[in-house]
Amino acid sequence: MHKRKESSHLIPFILGGVVLYFLSSMVEELRVYQGATIAVYVIAVASIILLTGYSGQVSLGHGALMAVGAYAAAVARIEFNVPIVLTFFIAVLAAAMGGALLGAAAARLSGPYLAGTTLALAIGLPSLANQFSILGGEQGLLFDVGFPPLSLGESFTQYKWFFWIAGLAALISMWVLQNILRSRYGRSWRAGRGNEVATQLCGVNTARSKILAFTVSAGFAGLAGALLSMTIGTVSPSAFPLTLSFALLTGAVLSGISTLGGVILGASILVVIPEFADVVAHRLGASEGVTTNLPGLIVSGLLILTVLFVPNGPVEQHRARKAKHALHKKD
Amino acid sequence: MKALNRRKLIIASAVLAVVGLAATAIPAQAAEVGVSSTRIKLGMTLPMTGTASLGYNKIPGAAKAYFDYLNANGGINGRKITLVVKDDRYVPTEAVARTNELILKDKVMALMAPLGTANVKAVAASVNPARRGVPVLFINTGFSGFADIKKYPTTYTVLPSYIMEAKIMGEYIKENFAGKKIGLLYQDDDFGSDALAGFKTAGVKFAVQVPYASGSQNAAAAAGWITKFKAAEADVVILFGVSSATSAMLGVAAQLQYKPQWMLGSVGGDATTIKLTGVPAGVLFNAIGFSPVPATTDMTDEYIKFFSDIYAKAVPGSAFDLNVLLGMNTAFITAQALKAAGANPTRKSLLAAIDSKGATFANSALVPAAYSKTSHVGLTGYWVGKYAPTGDLAPIGGKYVAYTTDSGSGAVVKSTYKRPAMPAKGLPN
Repeated sequence: MHKRKESSHLIPFILGGVVLYFLSSMVEELRVYQGATIAVYVIAVASIILLTGYSGQVSLGHGALMAVGAYAAAVARIEFNVPIVLTFFIAVLAAAMGGALLGAAAARLSGPYLAGTTLALAIGLPSLANQFSILGGEQGLLFDVGFPPLSLGESFTQYKWFFWIAGLAALISMWVLQNILRSRYGRSWRAGRGNEVATQLCGVNTARSKILAFTVSAGFAGLAGALLSMTIGTVSPSAFPLTLSFALLTGAVLSGISTLGGVILGASILVVIPEFADVVAHRLGASEGVTTNLPGLIVSGLLILTVLFVPNGPVEQHRARKAKHALHKKD
Repeated sequence: MKALNRRKLIIASAVLAVVGLAATAIPAQAAEVGVSSTRIKLGMTLPMTGTASLGYNKIPGAAKAYFDYLNANGGINGRKITLVVKDDRYVPTEAVARTNELILKDKVMALMAPLGTANVKAVAASVNPARRGVPVLFINTGFSGFADIKKYPTTYTVLPSYIMEAKIMGEYIKENFAGKKIGLLYQDDDFGSDALAGFKTAGVKFAVQVPYASGSQNAAAAAGWITKFKAAEADVVILFGVSSATSAMLGVAAQLQYKPQWMLGSVGGDATTIKLTGVPAGVLFNAIGFSPVPATTDMTDEYIKFFSDIYAKAVPGSAFDLNVLLGMNTAFITAQALKAAGANPTRKSLLAAIDSKGATFANSALVPAAYSKTSHVGLTGYWVGKYAPTGDLAPIGGKYVAYTTDSGSGAVVKSTYKRPAMPAKGLPN
């Protein structure tokens, strides 16, 4: 068995950052905004992949954990005037704490029971905001990260600023996640997903391992939630509907649930589909009924096709084919 | 080496995704964004799919029906109006994304009739139409906050605020139900707190107040509400909630033979929406209701006749209800604003036109609008009616009695407003 090169793979992420930096100046404002949204979804979808693909737990409630992060960041900003960078850390911590609690319950549940519990959370939690006036009710709270620094120039738009923040957060998150998943924890999560009894026999406390997975995943979801709120300038219960949780799961399946490699693909699909559907519908001169239902149809269609033909996601499929090819050559 | 290849793939797919997006961009030109020599482009986002779309998804069809009629009759100074509609599913994230598309890609001149408080607030914070100088014409919510010129300098409301409605209800109670025990059902969020503020200003004393959390309204909850109203022996019960709360309450009350004098807020008092929830419209019979525009069944009203004729031709088989009427009325006001903005309308001249002439724009409402240089408040009152057995709101005794007020501490007065006659052929003059 060849020894895996032990490195943190920092260089590709730095290169990625440089590419994004130049891209942000080349494309127009709408694309910059969409880029920021894609970066947010990258983190959120990656948090699902960690939980479901690696540790084998299902969550239909990640939208709620995103809400926890978003509200924590907004309240910290408004009530305590916390510096903006810190608000994102607070979002991670608050959601991770929520995730730990949920994880403790989740460790006792599995399959449909876990799905049901997290589903209930997704439905119930955001509307709690209506019960506490500090959370701003249905209108929500403003979450303002402020204008970009003047040193960046007059023409530096707000959305470019969002894109930089979200892009940087996504790069850092992916780097951290990548390294966690390659660590002992990542291995024990995967082992537990494969065979829980065998993993326990190897000396891994699977219950604790599962709770940890939930906690880490929730932390990233919280970060994504705060960033999502940044891009829309507000936090409100309706920004975290049940459909958001479902969309994230869809994104994870489209990305390939067991690998981080395709996460940008899944995230991009989620963001681009409505606009793509709009363009298609107009080209075809489709009726209003078709136009409004086309995005859902395309996403569902892609989901079915993915599950049928590339169940591990297109990236994993490509990788597997290449590995098989390489093996063939060796023979 | 393998790991490096994988990284390459990720980076390559990222670059491709963003570059691919950039390739679809369209360059901008023209004197004013969204205005060409033949066309004026407007944009609208609202829930077209999902649970919140019920009833509201008829608004774009209604607005388009009027614009199509207008376009067929010469448009605005020869320019035809195009309305670009996008589905925001009542989710703020979607509303921001779709509004960005409208402004940055479709390059609309102005936004029209966006819906939902959280959505409007998110769009104001993120897209920031004010900074971009984009007019937000006639938003579809009764929250009083959006009429704040300092915070939302390019935004105009059209519906009377919830505060105004509660104040007018209070006045009607004083005149007609003095000494009676009054009960109030309200939604326990900003919608309800606006109502409470209005009732407080009007000096209404409640025998019982029942709040409900948004989303908790169902038949089981309604049975609980009824117990509370019965215990307090309420003679008049005000339902200041959404349609699903009204239908749950009236449905269960009909089964339990509970019959106080019902009074319905306009948000939860639309008969067609209530019918869509599966409750027969008959439960509305004899309830008191409020509306700023004429009864949708009143074919003696020139506007109702005109709008319903156009709508029947444009969208055959679709019922002409309050959402349709309000959608067409907003389109009607928008057309006049565009006409008043001059031979070559710009965003600036459009805003200036509403500020200077908005209060005189003809429209179907039976109460005046309060647009001026210092106010972006639209309609300022309601007429009071009773629901017929068919579920349609009709004026009591066949005569419209309207009240007007403001969202502050101003008095509620019986309106003396004389609605101007409809412009010839329903075209802006």
